[in-house]
Amino acid sequence: MQLIVNITVLAAIYALLACGYVLIYRVSRVMNMAHGELAMLGAYLLYTTASLFTDHPVGAIAAALVLSLTVGVLVYVALMRKMTGQMVLAAILTTIAIGILLRGVIVLIWSAAQQHPLQALKFSNPSIELIGGARISTCAALMVLATVAVYTALFVFLRFGRWGMRLRAAGQNPLLAAQRGINLNAIYALAWALSTLTGSIAGMLIALDSGLDQTMVVIGLKAFAPALVGGLDSLLGALVGAVIVASAEVLAIHYVDPLLSDVVPFLVLIAALIVRPWGLFGTREELDRV
Amino acid sequence: MGTNGAGKTTTLRAISGFLGIDDARVTEGAITFKGARIENRPPHENTRRGIVLVPERDKVFPNLTVAENLAAPVAPAAAAIERRRREALAYQFFPQLADLRHRVGGLLSGGERQMLALASGLVCEPELLLVDELSLGLAPVVVADLLRRLAEIRRQLGIAILVVEQSATVALEVADYAYVMENGRIVLDGTAERLRRHPDIQEFYLGRKSGERRSYREVKQYRRSRRWYG
Ligand SMILES: Nc1ncnc2c1ncn2[C@@H]1O[C@H](COP(=O)(O)OP(=O)(O)O)[C@@H](O)[C@H]1O
Ligand SMILES: [Mg+2]
Repeated sequence: MQLIVNITVLAAIYALLACGYVLIYRVSRVMNMAHGELAMLGAYLLYTTASLFTDHPVGAIAAALVLSLTVGVLVYVALMRKMTGQMVLAAILTTIAIGILLRGVIVLIWSAAQQHPLQALKFSNPSIELIGGARISTCAALMVLATVAVYTALFVFLRFGRWGMRLRAAGQNPLLAAQRGINLNAIYALAWALSTLTGSIAGMLIALDSGLDQTMVVIGLKAFAPALVGGLDSLLGALVGAVIVASAEVLAIHYVDPLLSDVVPFLVLIAALIVRPWGLFGTREELDRV
Repeated sequence: MGTNGAGKTTTLRAISGFLGIDDARVTEGAITFKGARIENRPPHENTRRGIVLVPERDKVFPNLTVAENLAAPVAPAAAAIERRRREALAYQFFPQLADLRHRVGGLLSGGERQMLALASGLVCEPELLLVDELSLGLAPVVVADLLRRLAEIRRQLGIAILVVEQSATVALEVADYAYVMENGRIVLDGTAERLRRHPDIQEFYLGRKSGERRSYREVKQYRRSRRWYG
């Protein structure tokens, strides 16, 4: 039972991080290699707003969410916009540079020491006993709920929202989308905003549960595996990929060796790429672009 | 009208706007629409200005349903009621699309796809609708039907429609005014009435021989020497 809980929580973390990769890839074919750093930045922003609004945890969280949304738009407008129309590889290299830059800036501002946004918010994180004697921490439970909420919202938005349709349209044929009056810059900015927001939510919840330092980048990178296993352009794929990778990781930790934790996602990734290079739910024609 | 490679698509795309990918841009000359210079403006801006292109290929979103293809375009009138009226109008001109509402664009037949492309263009509220290669890959009956509907749309909405059409017989029957392009230039233009009677058109586009036979090469030479513009 505890194993299932652990898998669910890890799958939720991966899924929440993976949807950010999918959103940006889907509209622009760019793999955002700074996603982990952006998620980490979101968590640090929460840490700061928590110290600023000491008695208003809700205000602190809301402010941190707005700030991370803004960061996403700013990264696109200031850095990635010039990359539209350029080679995808150049754009990916730019995201790698952004990631390195963010890591440096974060150390400069917040130092490399571990921070605890939970204490700053004056929250506690009691563990909840579930049926069967399994335990889950409050923040981990929140993580699962947040993932369910974010995925539901994204599915509804992409399926039924006018801007969701435009996002899909721009991903399929940017030129035709522009010819149908859709401002591609607005679409890309929207994708970056949503991606950074969802990533930051993940980052904040991870930081609340287990403290905040640069190791968050590794989690962000590991979440790239489920996104790719799922096919990179499919949200459903990211969800299924997250469950697969999380199961493999938790089972390997439990039955083999905890040291495998950082290796397993990439082993699964390689195995999946050999069997189905375009991912479980990906579009086959996308392959040449990966 | 004009043979393959005459520059029709290039002209329409330059008017509608480039994304700036692959360095595509207008390097010389001016494009004016209702008094404003519009060359090298992004496509979405020109669309909102009233110039809407139905491209030659990739004219619908293949993974979006017919309904979504009509819901996705951004129209100048943002009001929800006006927007719904506009989509209803598209279905009114192309009633077949209503039954296909939930089918994805990629699964439509050529004729259905062209209808959807025209309908989604109409949703953008064009004042000038540019249609590239209306009849590409379509049966003559389908083309005749589409042209009838375009004439009806023009009559009801009072918009200008510029159609690139291979068959001069078809084109000159429905058009008011026609341009003939060769080697990137307009070589002949006039009312459809006048062009129908024009000897060059009679000979090379309508295929009515006047006098001696000519080989294709001679035809090209002949055309080059008869350049009306620049
Ligand atoms: N005005 C022009 N000057 C020089 N080259 C042109 C011009 N217009 C078109 N071209 C070139 O001619 C080729 C075919 O043009 P295209 O527009 O596709 O023709 P069409 O649609 O009439 O078959 C393209 O390679 C294009 O770059
Ligand atoms: Mg053409």
